[in-house]
Amino acid sequence: MKPIAKVYTAILFLFLFAPIAILLVFSFNSGNSLSVLSGFSLYWYKELFHDANTLGALRNTLVLALCAAVISTVMGTAAAVGINKLRSRSMRAAMNTVTNLPMMNPEIITGISLMLMFVFAGRLMGLATSLNFGTILIAHVTFCLPYVILQVLPKLRQMDKALPEAAMDLGCTPMGAFLKVELPEILPGVLTGMIMAFTLSLDDFVISYFTSGNGFETLPIRIYNMTKKTVTPKMYALATIIFFVILALLLVTNLMDDDAVRERKAQRRGKKEHTLSDRGKKTLAGSVMGVAAALIIVVSVAGGGNTLELNVYNWGEYISDGSDGSLDTIKDFEAWYEETYGQKVKVNYSTFASNEDMYAKLKSGAVSYDVIIPSDYMIARLAAEDMLVPLNFDNIPNYQYIEPQFRGLYYDPDDRYSVPYTYGVVGIIYDANQVDQADTGDWDLMWNPKYAGKILQFNNSRDAFGTAMYSLDLDVNTTDKAQWDRALQTLLDQRPLVKGYVMDEIFNALESGEAAIGAYYAGDYFTMVDAQADNVDLQFYYPDPTNYFIDAMCIPSCCANQDLAEIFINYMLSEEPAIANAEYIYYACPNSLVYQNETYQEDMGEEAMEILYPDTGDFAEKYNKLAYRNLSDEMLGYMNTLWENLKIN
Amino acid sequence: MKKIIELKNITKAFDGEPVLQGINLDIYDNEFITLLGPSGCGKTTLLRLIGGFETPDEGDVVFLGQRINDVPPYKRNVNTVFQKYALFPHLNVFENVAFPLREKKVPKEEIEAKVTEMLSLVALKGFEHRSVTRLSGGQQQRVAIARALVAHPQVLLLDEPLGALDLKLRKDMQVELKKIQKQTGITFVFVTHDQEEALSMSDTVVVMSEGKIHQIGTPIDIYNEPQNAFVADFIGESNILDGIMLEDYKVSFSGQTFQCLDKDFGKNVPVDVVVRPEDVDIVPLERGQLTGVVTSVTFMGVHYEIIVDVGGFKWMIQTTDFVDVDEHIGIELEPDAIHIMKKSEYSDLYGDYSSFSNELDELSEVSEEEDE
Repeated sequence: MKPIAKVYTAILFLFLFAPIAILLVFSFNSGNSLSVLSGFSLYWYKELFHDANTLGALRNTLVLALCAAVISTVMGTAAAVGINKLRSRSMRAAMNTVTNLPMMNPEIITGISLMLMFVFAGRLMGLATSLNFGTILIAHVTFCLPYVILQVLPKLRQMDKALPEAAMDLGCTPMGAFLKVELPEILPGVLTGMIMAFTLSLDDFVISYFTSGNGFETLPIRIYNMTKKTVTPKMYALATIIFFVILALLLVTNLMDDDAVRERKAQRRGKKEHTLSDRGKKTLAGSVMGVAAALIIVVSVAGGGNTLELNVYNWGEYISDGSDGSLDTIKDFEAWYEETYGQKVKVNYSTFASNEDMYAKLKSGAVSYDVIIPSDYMIARLAAEDMLVPLNFDNIPNYQYIEPQFRGLYYDPDDRYSVPYTYGVVGIIYDANQVDQADTGDWDLMWNPKYAGKILQFNNSRDAFGTAMYSLDLDVNTTDKAQWDRALQTLLDQRPLVKGYVMDEIFNALESGEAAIGAYYAGDYFTMVDAQADNVDLQFYYPDPTNYFIDAMCIPSCCANQDLAEIFINYMLSEEPAIANAEYIYYACPNSLVYQNETYQEDMGEEAMEILYPDTGDFAEKYNKLAYRNLSDEMLGYMNTLWENLKIN
Repeated sequence: MKKIIELKNITKAFDGEPVLQGINLDIYDNEFITLLGPSGCGKTTLLRLIGGFETPDEGDVVFLGQRINDVPPYKRNVNTVFQKYALFPHLNVFENVAFPLREKKVPKEEIEAKVTEMLSLVALKGFEHRSVTRLSGGQQQRVAIARALVAHPQVLLLDEPLGALDLKLRKDMQVELKKIQKQTGITFVFVTHDQEEALSMSDTVVVMSEGKIHQIGTPIDIYNEPQNAFVADFIGESNILDGIMLEDYKVSFSGQTFQCLDKDFGKNVPVDVVVRPEDVDIVPLERGQLTGVVTSVTFMGVHYEIIVDVGGFKWMIQTTDFVDVDEHIGIELEPDAIHIMKKSEYSDLYGDYSSFSNELDELSEVSEEEDE
């Protein structure tokens, strides 16, 4: 090989495998930063196997993939046999095109059209929720089918057409001929198809996202929804494991293909080489089927019985889930409920990545949830659209622990629909090793030319305009376009100083010291401090005025069991789970059982308590003045036009 | 003799193309019957009708007096040896042969005994555990025959089973097949396009072309008394000339009148005259009933094949005497060398060797087979 060709090959492989290598390395990192390697450790693998929700999602994904693989293999093989039997060549070509179409179709179109169909069918049948395990399974079978057909058809073509006839001639029924003679011949193709279907189903996100119902969360969806906070390194560990499982499957598939090729060559040469035996293939197929069947049985048994169901829809990583020795809130609720009321309850817990995602899913009517945890402005919108039911506070006695300052806020002025879950205040995070203490204290730090190229700004119009408007002391909810224009000008002035417009990337940029200044939530500041590099010293302060937000528990109007939902909300307010959640999420908690609890205060430490719970004076007054509210469509449009100007010019 | 299969007025078309038209054929017990014809003549389709893989559009397939048009293959007491053997690659020799017995739920010991017996019949003892993909063509052929015979069908169908074997092996298998048929007493229906094979093995030969049967008879009848120019041409080599039957035992062609053994054609009736190349005697020029110039001589081993131009019509003559190209020779025909046939739609299509080439014949045969 010429040197250039060698270099080219090396670059190609580097390109292909560098990301996986990095994933692998960081999965063994003992810290949680993506920029700082702090030593080899199996910590994240251990964490992964203690995370019941992730393991649950993994189990869901595996069950789904196995069911989809088995069903699509059976259906696809039958279809391939049918297509192969067609006499007319044009008919065969037409069938091929039709079956291949879903493969060529963009996934998102397949996803949307399937969801539409399921919702439509659900409405026709008068079901409250039309998306469930069945629908996601149908969807997966749909997109796996063409791949199975594509694998089986060539094997059928290669096969001597007289074989099934010979079998029938010798006394087999057509079915017998297929099972005893044709199937052993095409088995390598069938198995390859099944393994392909399995891996495709395993990593599908787009179609699953559109067609999964409440409570059934697959791993890719769970990972995506973790973006409210950062993706934890647990997921690197999981991704590494999945990569190697798929690698193993791929090797087995290729081995079988090689096998078939070698066998054919050996046939031509008139001798036989030692290859993976027929028995080996059969054992492999048998064990795959066996595991699938066993899992299906386990799942159906687990799903049966007279149990209540509660569908909870929350942000990703927004509840204590039992990892790192914490309380598994969901499990604990299930146990507590059974003990108290003598009846089993099954909580179907699913997650979303943004208020808008949650709204879209709820609005589609395809799913029904009993408890949701949206942010303040979204609660106002849902209430205005009659999508929430008034709460019966007789069922929520723990509401008394929500202090008056967190009541009667603008999004729910009469306290009818919501129970606050967390709140937060935006502050500025800076690296004390790069920033002069004297320059800190207010928003001006983000406009300070001394730190050109070290400043991070939000890559999200509402938050970015917010920083400008707070610094100018403007009303962030104003309908006066001139004020928005002023804010734009301020952002334009800032642009030459900005290192980048970021969302989650802020974590790495600040932890590594690449950037020195950025605005973010107090809770996330501590995550960054934990992972900061040795030469970085992150500090935090609140400028004034600044942004306040609240996430609160609500019951959507599609709720099937309001009493149960209220019992759940009340449970979430009780001392033990509330503290567990607050310690896990690391945001401020409006529940006095939490922030007045001494153990909690000790666990968090003095510094954290000071930062998380700043003395804001009258919280309600500040909040109502400074929190983001729903903008009218007109103002939203105007803001986004300005935002585009900023990004383009 | 007992009739096993009767085909009554069978018609079959694929996509509007007629493949079989008005076929009537009786097959008798213990008979070796051969369906002979060029590629695409419908002989394989006829075989598949008997096997149950096709159903006739019109007419009936009758098996021992019962109409079996709609009986599926696995319920017919008929087995097939396929063209490319169709052995099951995932089973070894023993299991391939045991397959039909296992389907019939025959007890284990009996299977063992029957398969062993069959394998010794086809001389494959000791190959039981060999993979069928590791056998030679001839051995695979024997496994296919053993597998088809082990369950004792009343009729064995063989679809050009020797086509893939080389010449020497083919000759051996012809003898062996005949022997097996004698030993088992099973009716064999054999399909081939090789006329030599048909003549040497069969009790009865059925000559087909274009979906029709032209002649049914013993090999000797077919060869000596072809019914029309197609049969005469297809079975062996023939010189076919236009002639006039002057009266009984007297025929005129090539401007001469000859004595013959045929009668009952009427007087002065146009007929086809068939003369086999080996029946032509070469005589000195002055003694010849006809005279001509030798245009080509081909050495064939046992004899020479020479082409002689007689007044513009090219004769083929097979002789052991050597003559040279451009030599003028005389031709003499004995009365029993001359065979008279009625005029048919095939007259004038065959029998002149003016454009004769062995190679061309073979080439066209190959391409026809590929079309199938």
